[in-house]
Amino acid sequence: MPLYILACRVLQTIMEPYLRAADTLATFMEYGFHRTPQLMTPALQEELDKVAEPSVFIIGYGLCGNGLAGLKARQHTLIVPRADDCISLLLGSYERYIQEFSEEPGTYYLTKGWLESGSHPLKEYRELLEKYDQETADWILDEQYRNYKRIVFVASSEEERESYRHKAKEAADFCVERWGFRYEERVGTNEFVDKLMTVAREFTESNDDFLVIPPGGEIKQEMYWR
Amino acid sequence: MSDTLVQISNAVIEGRVKDAPGLTHNALQAGLTAKDILDKGLMPGMDVVGAEFKKGKKFVPEVLLSARTMQASLDILKPLLAEAGAKMTGKVVVGTVKGDLHDIGKNLVGMMLEGSGFEVVDLGKDVAPEKFVDAVKKEKPNIVAMSALLTTTMRSMGHTVTALKEAGLRDAVKIMIGGAPVTADFAAQIGADAYAPNAPAAAELAKKFVSA
Repeated sequence: MPLYILACRVLQTIMEPYLRAADTLATFMEYGFHRTPQLMTPALQEELDKVAEPSVFIIGYGLCGNGLAGLKARQHTLIVPRADDCISLLLGSYERYIQEFSEEPGTYYLTKGWLESGSHPLKEYRELLEKYDQETADWILDEQYRNYKRIVFVASSEEERESYRHKAKEAADFCVERWGFRYEERVGTNEFVDKLMTVAREFTESNDDFLVIPPGGEIKQEMYWR
Repeated sequence: MSDTLVQISNAVIEGRVKDAPGLTHNALQAGLTAKDILDKGLMPGMDVVGAEFKKGKKFVPEVLLSARTMQASLDILKPLLAEAGAKMTGKVVVGTVKGDLHDIGKNLVGMMLEGSGFEVVDLGKDVAPEKFVDAVKKEKPNIVAMSALLTTTMRSMGHTVTALKEAGLRDAVKIMIGGAPVTADFAAQIGADAYAPNAPAAAELAKKFVSA
């Protein structure tokens, strides 16, 4: 059966080595759909529906605020990581994510993808200042971020950590100064993505880390509950 | 509908905070009651904002500004509403559930409830099930309203429902829930009484609960 990858661009760098090795067709969607999950489902459905021949689709997304909920497999089989968002995938496991989450629920995550073309409080602040007066921009930004306590840069390797630290620090310093966040760094492992890109396609039913959605099936929120 | 009310609705929809006090005073001078301004000007405006947000046509900054616009008008109307209404409609305990620090939606619901004449006890964010239980014991509200933004934290709503059951308080209150990942199905699964898709809907639901 043909194999396709349908993923968020935030995972592109970490997935690409596998694609080159296997010559797999991949579509990477724009960043930021998790902010408008109601637009994410139809956008992904459209991509799935473009392929007529029954195929296996590896979905490089978390549940992303229910952005995946309601996605229909139709004639395809979907292999989906059982993770609430991409941070689990970048850290290397659901367990590591939960560990970070329990340590500090008020954590804002930075990743390479977000630093390159996504957003973060500093970038948003600059955009707000273009649109609104100073007082309004300040107020809007504070309303959204004042409750966070920590900003964590998650890199997928030591090299990535070194080369993106400058950018991460720029965004983080702004938050540290403005709201007193703590800045931390984590180097994830490719464990989760490695499984997703290699063995997961062989699974015939869902397990702890992956959902297998057979033809005719549909992704549902409760499939993620543990 | 009067032009003044349309102008007030539009100010809310467009988030024109600075226009709110002037428009509100104009409306009052034109003889409209505080309740009319709220029900026929501010609320319909927020309804539009809620619907556009759901469709991805408005984003958080714009919703925040709309809420701020409504608040600016409410600050003027509140004393008048209190005079006219005298008695509070009912009492609601609101909070963002454990592990979740996102309070924009919860604050918006709180504001709409207050505007609708409810006494609101705001427990804040990251509220553990036992804190909801304590608040129900102490405040004796008609309604408990819970909010969550994350799929990771929404499950805590179920824990709160269970905690209220175990404390023997489940039937003493109506429970309503909301937040981006929350659905009506989820509300049914955890044994909540209702789901509100946005803040105006939450205020409507609350009114139905206390009039039933």
